[in-house]
Amino acid sequence: MKGWLPPVAIGLAVGVVVLVAVTSFAGADAPTPIERIEVLSRELRCPDCQGLSVAESPTRTAQAIRGQIADLVADGASDDAIRAYFVTRYGEWILLGPTLPLAWLLPFAVILAAGIGLGTWLVARRPPPPEPPVPTSEALRRVNDEVEAMDA
Amino acid sequence: MRGLRWLIVPALVIPIGLLFLSGFGRDPSEIPSPLIGRPAPEWTQATLDGGTLSTEDLAGRPYVVNFWASWCGPCVDEHPVLASASTDHGDELAVVGVLYQDTTADATAWLVEHGDAGYPNLLDGDGALAIDYGVTGPPESYFVDAGGIVRAKQFGPLTDESMAQHLAEIGVGE
Repeated sequence: MKGWLPPVAIGLAVGVVVLVAVTSFAGADAPTPIERIEVLSRELRCPDCQGLSVAESPTRTAQAIRGQIADLVADGASDDAIRAYFVTRYGEWILLGPTLPLAWLLPFAVILAAGIGLGTWLVARRPPPPEPPVPTSEALRRVNDEVEAMDA
Repeated sequence: MRGLRWLIVPALVIPIGLLFLSGFGRDPSEIPSPLIGRPAPEWTQATLDGGTLSTEDLAGRPYVVNFWASWCGPCVDEHPVLASASTDHGDELAVVGVLYQDTTADATAWLVEHGDAGYPNLLDGDGALAIDYGVTGPPESYFVDAGGIVRAKQFGPLTDESMAQHLAEIGVGE
């Protein structure tokens, strides 16, 4: 087995998964206002709950935020503008996910790096193939004797 | 090169350890408010006693906006602190309560039971004012200086000490 094969195979597999994910997201149809409200509600943290999104929470504050999202969508605000609206009031804390797109890629990068590292390590720890035996002087002498006997 | 391999362990453990230590040093319930240092939200709200109050009425005066509810236990503890601040500082300071997810009947009964200090309490039926201030749960108080800038936020109940500290931040009682 070639030494470079495991890391390349792992990298290729991860690359294909990322490519499929990106193209499927990019090819999606434009969401309806109701879908936008739903998605944004899932992105925002319910302020007076423990670990729930606004979409999941039944509290009055969560209902009020959902109502404000609907109003902002109806007013023509973009998704980024709506997120910013709540961030200026609650801070980045209100967002359940990371704000930097690169942060979403971090886990994939870590898995890729770990896979490459593991593959490299597995290849490196394999014992090297055995060296061909070096003929001893006694063996060489016997070979020479036999060759000379054949020539004679 | 082989010896350098062991540097990977401290290179991973030290940053992760520092990350954990930085988290242990703070209260996770205390979320920094982005309002600090920025102009306070503007509002015009109905009050519990049937009137109307707006930020224009408070212009030029430092004020405290306190979000509370009759179902909020710690709000009972801080109520005397707010009442004293309102009484002691007179016209130098405005104290404004805001009902957080509460009914007017329950809030009125609570004030009868615990003593109405006489400062206005705003109605916030749709929760919009709480959202404008970024409230995560009562009691929470916001301290606004005479220029209309939010200078401090108190998470949880106010004490005499925290009240004095925050009032000093908005130029009251110095």
